[in-house]
Amino acid sequence: MNFETISSSALLAAFIVYCIAFLVFVLAVAGKGWSSRDPQEHVKRWGRFAFAASVVGFACHLLFFFTRWYSAGHIPTSNMYEFMTFLAMMIMFAFIIVYLIYRTPVLGMFALPVGIIVIAYASVFPHEVQPLIPALQSYWLKIHVTTAATGEAFFAVGFAGGLMYLLRTIDFKGTSKAARREQRGAEFTLFTIVTVIAFVSVVFGFHAAGYSAQFGKQVTVKDPQGVEQTVTQKIDYVLPPLFQPYDSQLISMKPFLGMDKPPMTSPSWMKGGNAGRKFNTVVWSLLAGLILYAILRLVARRRLGEAIQPALAGIDAEDLDEISYRAIAIGYPIYTLGALIFAMIWASEAWGRFWGWDPKEDWALITWLFYAAFLHLRLSRGWQGKRSAWLAVVGFLVVMFTLIGVNLVIAGLHSYAGV
Amino acid sequence: MIHNTKCECGHQNHVGTVLCESCGKPLTDEAGNEPLEMRYDGVARRSQRAKRTPLDRVWNFFSSVKIAVYLIIFTLLASAIGTIFPQEDTFINLDPATFYKDTYGWSGELYYLLGLSHTFDSWWFRMLLFMIGTSLVICSLDRVLPLYRALSKQQLRKHPSFILRQKVAFEGDLPQSGVNESTKDWDDRFADALRKKHYRVYREDGALLAEKNRFSRWGPYINHIGLIIFLLAALSRGIPGWHMNQYMEFLEGSPKAISGTNYYLLNNQFTVDFYNPDEMSEGFRQRDVAVPKVYKTDAILYECTADCRVADKQPVLRELTHQQIEVNKPLKYKDLQVFQFDYSETPELLAIKPMLTDHSTGQSYGPIDLQMDNPLPSYQAGPFTLTLKSFFPEFGLDDKGLPMTKSNKPLAPAFVFSLTGPGLPAAGSPYMYFPRQIDKVNFRQDDINGALGSRFDLSVGSMDDVKIAQYTSYLNIRVEKAMPYIWFGAAVSMIGLIMGFYWQHRRIWLRIDGARLMLGAHTNKNWFGIRKEVADALGKTGIDVDPKSLEKGRNRE
Ligand code: HEM
Repeated sequence: MNFETISSSALLAAFIVYCIAFLVFVLAVAGKGWSSRDPQEHVKRWGRFAFAASVVGFACHLLFFFTRWYSAGHIPTSNMYEFMTFLAMMIMFAFIIVYLIYRTPVLGMFALPVGIIVIAYASVFPHEVQPLIPALQSYWLKIHVTTAATGEAFFAVGFAGGLMYLLRTIDFKGTSKAARREQRGAEFTLFTIVTVIAFVSVVFGFHAAGYSAQFGKQVTVKDPQGVEQTVTQKIDYVLPPLFQPYDSQLISMKPFLGMDKPPMTSPSWMKGGNAGRKFNTVVWSLLAGLILYAILRLVARRRLGEAIQPALAGIDAEDLDEISYRAIAIGYPIYTLGALIFAMIWASEAWGRFWGWDPKEDWALITWLFYAAFLHLRLSRGWQGKRSAWLAVVGFLVVMFTLIGVNLVIAGLHSYAGV
Repeated sequence: MIHNTKCECGHQNHVGTVLCESCGKPLTDEAGNEPLEMRYDGVARRSQRAKRTPLDRVWNFFSSVKIAVYLIIFTLLASAIGTIFPQEDTFINLDPATFYKDTYGWSGELYYLLGLSHTFDSWWFRMLLFMIGTSLVICSLDRVLPLYRALSKQQLRKHPSFILRQKVAFEGDLPQSGVNESTKDWDDRFADALRKKHYRVYREDGALLAEKNRFSRWGPYINHIGLIIFLLAALSRGIPGWHMNQYMEFLEGSPKAISGTNYYLLNNQFTVDFYNPDEMSEGFRQRDVAVPKVYKTDAILYECTADCRVADKQPVLRELTHQQIEVNKPLKYKDLQVFQFDYSETPELLAIKPMLTDHSTGQSYGPIDLQMDNPLPSYQAGPFTLTLKSFFPEFGLDDKGLPMTKSNKPLAPAFVFSLTGPGLPAAGSPYMYFPRQIDKVNFRQDDINGALGSRFDLSVGSMDDVKIAQYTSYLNIRVEKAMPYIWFGAAVSMIGLIMGFYWQHRRIWLRIDGARLMLGAHTNKNWFGIRKEVADALGKTGIDVDPKSLEKGRNRE
């Protein structure tokens, strides 16, 4: 047994314990009418139990983190897998802090799933410990990544609060234009979450089944002497190719549903083999998301938001509003310090420039400006309640785009090697 | 229009005042019931005064938070647009006019034509930042001064409608706790309870004001000051000499001038180490890729003291500093920083020290020191003189079959000497020399030299006499004079943020009229916290209230 395996087991344990904690939170909140006991007492008792479970999960998560650190010899925040598991850990941390302030079990019902999904998402990326390339060998980098993730974790809790607020207050029976728009917005947010879950499940499903396919694509590269050479770039698919990369040849493909070659080709404007692969993944995620969503709708026989709403009945909406805002207010200075100031210090140490408009830096700034606008609107223009909740939800989408979207869509200096 | 701005308590307020500066009575909307708008304690701001000079207009424009939010949103959108395609300055040596079109098609071309390929240097982006800066200054001044005035002279006894129209308010009778307690005793106990919670308590008979963390109100303004300093520092990089950024390649072995300065830099030696397979995790090892662990340039920085950049003359250099440049560990000298950026393996001949052998006597002379980068006009080997007639760094033949050089990199160097000395014509005999064995064979050196070639031989004894550069180190040379101001601004901003977000300004007003107690409380954030504190303090003095019931508009649903 070495530290790397202890570490992986600890993460698995954390994941399971979080799931249990989440279910107990649901039991605490939604089951208050079931027992003959005083509902308040029920919520308190089970809420305490669920919170204790979350703390145990967090302890396992810490164990994962430190054992991996020990076995890798450097802080595990240097690729997408490590960063995402770290982010999930900080989301749990932020949840624990905010829970200790407000002690509302509903928060667990919403914040825990965010953390759980982030762990699940992380596990899609290659797990192995990688050696650190020289550019990443700086302690400022560690400080930068960890503090930025901590700030983002509080935004995640703010997102959970905002979403709760919306699900609590949106009138799902309303037929006015405004009500319709809100219903659609909330449903879209839930659909997005469902899609992420579907994406992770699909990747895991095919991975477990040992699926693979490979394509080759001729690309011209320039060698250091400036001479152009044509080489074959190999593109590995982990999901069955519905779309093969534009202008590529099939090398191998396990049959999928009787198909032994891809039915379609990705659009020609998607240059490069990886663009084709990413496109294939996006299509898969959307398809799987739609299917999962449809199943959930069939089971619930209602819009998902409408189905969740009763669980939130009796919860003071203004508390949710305050929790969401407070989490963001706690996160903002941490984020500023981590994602901007420490990033600038590191950049100026490593590259001699504190700011270079690299896409990742740029999106960190965009996130920061977004929350600055949020705070100003809230403080000076009285945007509270629904508007504020929408901003908290959208803000977190911006955060996630900065963390994931930029790497998938725009390549820059910071891109970790991904799937 | 004449406003009557005199309050019933006798205080004369400025035009634009919402709450009387002295007793807090609402001056507009007197009959209302809704919680009061407590921002800046209801004092008048410059932007609210009636005058309408052009200066006022500009002031009003920039003092509006609404405008500020628009500016922030515009900057946000511009920054997002700037990431759609890579910016021009991400590339070294590239013609943007064709690059965007070739790489991204029509959308790329449009992007380029709209100037979005240099969004962040564009005048309109700078203008946005400049406007944010102006807005920060004006907005902050507009509010901080009145707020400071209002907070530094607070009156204790407030008007009942001021107290009861706070968001957190309580009205009730003093508790009849059986004991013969006077108003004063209750008051004392309440004040003590608040002091325990770190409030500063001011009292005047029958009225009380408790306040804590007032300093946190200055947080946003300190943050804004920090941002202004930061912005100014960032814009100051436009001052000549404050900012320099260039990428240069340095082949091992010879000093190279850093353009725009008087400095020369020598890549004395470049080294790179790779990770050992046993330093990698099992999974990664299987990928079989070489990952560099450290690479560094042993660099010497010189200052040119004479003959700088003069053709045919070696500059006179004075060593300034000798440092190792590694990724994340730049060379630093005064304002100059040199960063390790990249490297490539480019084996290249630097110098060679051949001996001249005269087969007719069997004697060897020399060695002579042939530098590829700047060969001397003539060399002496024993009694023989080699005068350099021509030098071809990368020898080749043009379409007419005449010798030429394909580049000025010493990839296939060739020397043409005129040889004089014992047994040779005084006018000299031409002798051609290819240092690389392969070129010597390919270009048939011996045939070219004919008889002279069988008498003389120019060659090296061992590899010690050959100097080869293995690597080119790509270095990034920078000057950034604004850095201290940037860090200072960032630090100030951070202090402001922490002040403003982790503490909250809380105030509690209390007024006792007979047995009637009126309490109002205000905070700029975290109502949950102040509600709890008020309920706790009241509870300690025998008045039990649910924290939530204190808040106005709470029980709407
Ligand atoms: C990117 C630039 C800016 C950032 C990051 C920023 C940040 C902040 C922050 C963090 C707060 C405190 C908010 C809170 O306590 O909830 C604040 C408050 C405020 N900001 Fe800004 N700000 C920026 C630009 C501006 C501009 C341009 C204006 C000018 C109109 C402005 C006006 C204000 C005002 C009036 C307050 C409220 C202060 C108070 O009432 O105590 N801000 N700002």
